Amino acid sequence: MKNKSVENKYLPEVPRKEIDELKNTVKTASQKIIADNIARMKKADSHRPEAMKYFDDIADLFGQRQEEIQAEKEKGKKVIGYLCLFAPTELIMAADAIPVRVNSGWYDTSKLGDRIVPVEVCPVIRSTIGAKMIELSPFLEKSDALISVLTCDGMTKLSEILGDAKTIWGMNIPRIKDSTQSLRFWSDEIKHMKDQIEKFTGNKITRKSLKEAIEVSHRATKAFRRLQELRKGPPVIMGRDAMLVNQAYVWDDKVRWTEKTEALCDELDKRVANKDWVCPPDTPRVMVTGTPMFWPDNWKLPTLVEEASPKGIIVADEQCSGERILNDPIGVDEWSMDDMLKAISERYLMASTCPCFTSEDGNEDRINWLLNKVKEWNIQGVIYYVVRGCMLYAMEYTRVKKALDKINVPVYYLDTEYTREDVGQMKTRVEAFLEMLTARVDF
Amino acid sequence: MITCGMDLGTQRVKVVVLKDGKVVGRAQGFSGFDPTKAAEKAVSDALKEANLTMSDVKHFSATGSAVDMAPYANSTVSMMGADAKAGVFLVPAARTIIDVGAEEARALKCDEKGIMVDFVVNERCAAGAGAFIEAMSRALEVKLEEMGPLSLKAERASPINASCVIFGESDVVSLIHRQESKPEIARAVFDAMADRVSSMIHRLGVNPEVVLVGGVAKDVGFVASLNRKLGLSVVIPEYPDYVGALGAALTAASRAAKEAQ
Repeated sequence: MKNKSVENKYLPEVPRKEIDELKNTVKTASQKIIADNIARMKKADSHRPEAMKYFDDIADLFGQRQEEIQAEKEKGKKVIGYLCLFAPTELIMAADAIPVRVNSGWYDTSKLGDRIVPVEVCPVIRSTIGAKMIELSPFLEKSDALISVLTCDGMTKLSEILGDAKTIWGMNIPRIKDSTQSLRFWSDEIKHMKDQIEKFTGNKITRKSLKEAIEVSHRATKAFRRLQELRKGPPVIMGRDAMLVNQAYVWDDKVRWTEKTEALCDELDKRVANKDWVCPPDTPRVMVTGTPMFWPDNWKLPTLVEEASPKGIIVADEQCSGERILNDPIGVDEWSMDDMLKAISERYLMASTCPCFTSEDGNEDRINWLLNKVKEWNIQGVIYYVVRGCMLYAMEYTRVKKALDKINVPVYYLDTEYTREDVGQMKTRVEAFLEMLTARVDF
Repeated sequence: MITCGMDLGTQRVKVVVLKDGKVVGRAQGFSGFDPTKAAEKAVSDALKEANLTMSDVKHFSATGSAVDMAPYANSTVSMMGADAKAGVFLVPAARTIIDVGAEEARALKCDEKGIMVDFVVNERCAAGAGAFIEAMSRALEVKLEEMGPLSLKAERASPINASCVIFGESDVVSLIHRQESKPEIARAVFDAMADRVSSMIHRLGVNPEVVLVGGVAKDVGFVASLNRKLGLSVVIPEYPDYVGALGAALTAASRAAKEAQ
């Protein structure tokens, strides 16, 4: 815990009574939103896979999973929260601690964040600050330490602000990806993080425990990739369902998540065999890219796309709240400690398509990801989703559009905020885009 | 075949009655507090003008920001889709269509069949749209319809910021304090709007012919500024404010024809 005799640099002293009141209000609203999101997902698919039941339960951020984490904590386990996908979760698991991602998807807390930083700041950041102010997020509250990777400007300052309340470990990420000195630098960061985690948890990361943790990740990636393969063909699962499964990984138990995802895939395999599609195979196939969309409030875009008229289906994404979580396995050659650490360093740095990177060819890896997805997943249109204040994604749009124009795939830039009030406007735009994708049939 | 199209917008509702590819009736009114009622009135006016009744209408399509409140609608079409359809119908060479309405400015690219291939909408602020002129006319204490002619008398340009209606207004106030003349301030308002709209078009690429529609297309001041900005002459069809409704009526006609097959 932080030494509270030190004066806060950012966070105000909010009276206990106000914290409790606000927390209760927002929590009640959030539980309603979680229930509503799931009800709408059920409605979208009249015979939703049985296996989704598990994920519906795990989606309750105030429910079963946080209780489990609490129980583990009471048995002496440490919880290590993280704010970016660059945090090496395998090292956390290898030290017998629990990794959990703590970025906030709550709209209401972004207004509280406005008390600390201007509204121009990315709402993901403001909302995470607000969540901390009223102690809303069970996962953030239960975190004994946080790993913050200094990717965008927002994340960099967020870690300072959260440092008022939590032990926070910053990780320096090099901005130029494809150079040997960057990889060397990042490998040092990873090694240092290993030492820090060991010291903090009091558990030594051994060759055996790290190998086991990497294997847990491997199995999860395998299950995830199986799910993604199933989304290549005619639609067999709604995009929102697959996205929830995908995102739940960051707070769920990794081994159980993998079992449940495999079970879902078994079920979906049968549906493919029976040509039991979740919506007509000519439904426009959409990919989403851009700012991460965090459960539960920030579910409005996938909901709009899949409930619009005409309707679309999301079959792929390029987001750090989505496929990027699990897309790439850690490539280990020899199971020595050095080699495993090297493989982890490479996986987290090289596989990422985050717009915080540049290189001689700019963020070429992201373009390649998008073009590959379009081809392999047969994408008909891309929605480029950006929240106001998300500078890096906003700026990369021009390049992405150029690349997609070249292969004649329409892309629409949709900007929004952490608010529910602009759903009407967004609907107009999303429907016009989907109408455009179906136009050649409709007119 | 008779079809009907309605554009239920933020400020006005517009209705077009179409008979075998010709407009035979049109009417409009303020959307007001009860858009459905306003829409019903406009429909009955337009049908009256056409000497027809609702039972003659084969298919009714609606568009506009309040489309969910549109009465009689058999189907809906997006505002951009409607603009593309009607824009190419009215100006066959149209490849870029700009629609500047009360609260929203849109630009879209379309092909020779009137099918939209790309579009952009102004950001969540009315600074590039008609409401901006309205707010600024209040600040200048001139009537809305006088703003355009007034701006044409300006001898030079004085830049203001139109990133936001509210900030734009405070910029206008500082021009007033600097004792700039009314024509110059009026021109500054249109220039600022034209800046916003033209940067939207540049995101799509400027493909002639460029057609300007929507209520603001009737404002000579905005048109002059936009032409200056784009370095070309935008084409303005007759009745630019009815283009959305016409697009809906044309969509209704294609859908009715498809149903009949």
